[in-house]
Amino acid sequence: MNPASQQTQDLAKRLIAYEMSGDKSFETKAPAVFYVCETLRPHLAILMGDTGFHALLSRALVLAYAHVSWLQAVQVKADGSLGVSDKVAEHVAPEEMAAGSVILVSQLLSLLVAFIGANITLRMVREVWPKLSLNDLEFSKGDKK
Amino acid sequence: MKKQNEAPKRNAPKKAEVLPAGKVTIHKIPTGVRGFDDILGGGIPEFSFNIIAGTPGCGKTTLAHQIIFANATEKKPALYFTVLGEPAIKMLRYQQQYSFFDESKLGKAIRFISLSDVVLEKDLDAVFREISKQVAAIGPSLVVVDSFRTVVRKATSGVGDLEMQSFIQRVAQFLTGWEATTFLVGEYVQEEIRDNPLFTIADGLFWLSQLVERNSVVRKLQIMKSRGHDSVPGLHTIRISTDGLQAFSRTLGFAGQKKANPTRARRLSVGITELDEMMGGGIVEGDSLLVAGPSGTGKSALATQFVAEGLRHGEPGIIAIFEERPPGYTDRADSFGLKFDTAQKKGKLEILYLRPLDLSVDEMMQEILDAIERVGAKRLVIDSLVGFEMALAPGFRADFRESLYRMIGALTGAGVTILSTVEVEDTFTALSFSHYTISFLTDDIIRMRYVEIDGQLRKVIVVIKMRGGNHSKDIREYVITDKGVVVIHPRQTEYARLSTGLPERISQREEVSPEPKAKK
Repeated sequence: MNPASQQTQDLAKRLIAYEMSGDKSFETKAPAVFYVCETLRPHLAILMGDTGFHALLSRALVLAYAHVSWLQAVQVKADGSLGVSDKVAEHVAPEEMAAGSVILVSQLLSLLVAFIGANITLRMVREVWPKLSLNDLEFSKGDKK
Repeated sequence: MKKQNEAPKRNAPKKAEVLPAGKVTIHKIPTGVRGFDDILGGGIPEFSFNIIAGTPGCGKTTLAHQIIFANATEKKPALYFTVLGEPAIKMLRYQQQYSFFDESKLGKAIRFISLSDVVLEKDLDAVFREISKQVAAIGPSLVVVDSFRTVVRKATSGVGDLEMQSFIQRVAQFLTGWEATTFLVGEYVQEEIRDNPLFTIADGLFWLSQLVERNSVVRKLQIMKSRGHDSVPGLHTIRISTDGLQAFSRTLGFAGQKKANPTRARRLSVGITELDEMMGGGIVEGDSLLVAGPSGTGKSALATQFVAEGLRHGEPGIIAIFEERPPGYTDRADSFGLKFDTAQKKGKLEILYLRPLDLSVDEMMQEILDAIERVGAKRLVIDSLVGFEMALAPGFRADFRESLYRMIGALTGAGVTILSTVEVEDTFTALSFSHYTISFLTDDIIRMRYVEIDGQLRKVIVVIKMRGGNHSKDIREYVITDKGVVVIHPRQTEYARLSTGLPERISQREEVSPEPKAKK
């Protein structure tokens, strides 16, 4: 079960769907969450430095471990990018991988909401993904439960 | 406390002065901090290189945020470099609690950039390159480095003074060249000013501090350097509230204001005809009148009548009280047949009850000044000066008389007529005006006191001083009735030494008591 709010999960799903809308799934076996985090990383690193982003993502990963076992094979590298063994993709079902990706992105977003509030988090997301339509998203009550 | 957007015009930033042809006009940007522009002489010079310095917890970061939120736009953005100290994510977390924080400015108008990794892992050249890269890319009008001290502290571990000075010089020249107004935020102690090249290069140096005295803490601001323009010298109180910083200029915003009352000819009634006559026709408009007397002699009653008389003549008033509560004041007015409630509802009268904890004298005076501006007051009552001083935290009392002197001087200069009360203890050996030694503040002094006459404790009033001209020297008896203070018609008094409170009957003439006397 994902402890993040429904609104945060909705946002996470949209970000993942947007990132995976191209042919990326055929290029690599990396989980979808990697693409979202990689897009977000330079923006957040400007704001909080590589070290700050590394700490935030590590915390999100630890929180997600409790709900998704395969995420224990994922590591946050020194530069803040995510790394995982190729074997994970071979042993984890695509649906399970997709669900785990949503949980990790949700956790990351929840941490941002907890620190800087829903409004600024959503503003940041809009800046990072300007073409992504979020107008129908009710995110103002999306604080971490 | 008022919000920034409610700041009175007195504190509005000044426009650049018109200079002779050929001289550069230095435009000033508003700080967004109420009272600060007045202290700065209009605002912060555009393209200047400034330092916001002080010890932890003084409000340096909040001040920097307030400045950028007041000025940054998409066309004139601000770059906020964070270094080690407080990460941007924490700044956003805490600073959004302030009312000036406008999240719509984040991203395009205000950008936060972390320099922590560069500072930690690289040298001064890399720091400079990163700053210049970002500035060149964005073209900001405002740049903040918070904390610059951290940049220097990290860097100096491996470089000499000359290299550090060169780095600071390069940063200053680059940012000025890019037409950025810059603020370097840092934790410094004053002993560092002499030897640190940063302070030599800076155009402006704003020093924030926290002073602790007994159980009170007050934050202070000092403009230690303001290149090319005048600022108000000295230590100014600052307060941090949910609206951010508010500065209280030592001049209370009256710096450079012209006197509005050059003729000073009109005399105002205090609401007691006999007393007006004793004063030579009333109080001169724009005068400061001190009413001194012991408890229960009717000082507040007189003050009530003074304000009520003004209201009758269309002159709005402010009553600042420190001891009695507002209902007590309005009840007294009611008992005299003076309807203060109506005037309050119409916005012609405000009764300020000021007994806050730990407020500085300048903050309290600002409250009074704000109220005067709100209602357009022509008459002000301060009841009482002793209560005013007692309402201040001990640490602020040292500044009381100086600040009061400035406020009274400024207000009377602007045409406001002030009646202040002060409680004095009757000694029955002498007629003291005030143990308080604030008589120098006043143009006019009225003394009320008790005297023992014929087995009764009666009250007498005397005009001690009228700066506006001649006045009666009579010591007149008065009573407090349902009309207020009523001065008894002149009559032959058979007493001498009334001023001592223990007069001597000098004839055998039968004295008729003005109020019923207890029968045996």
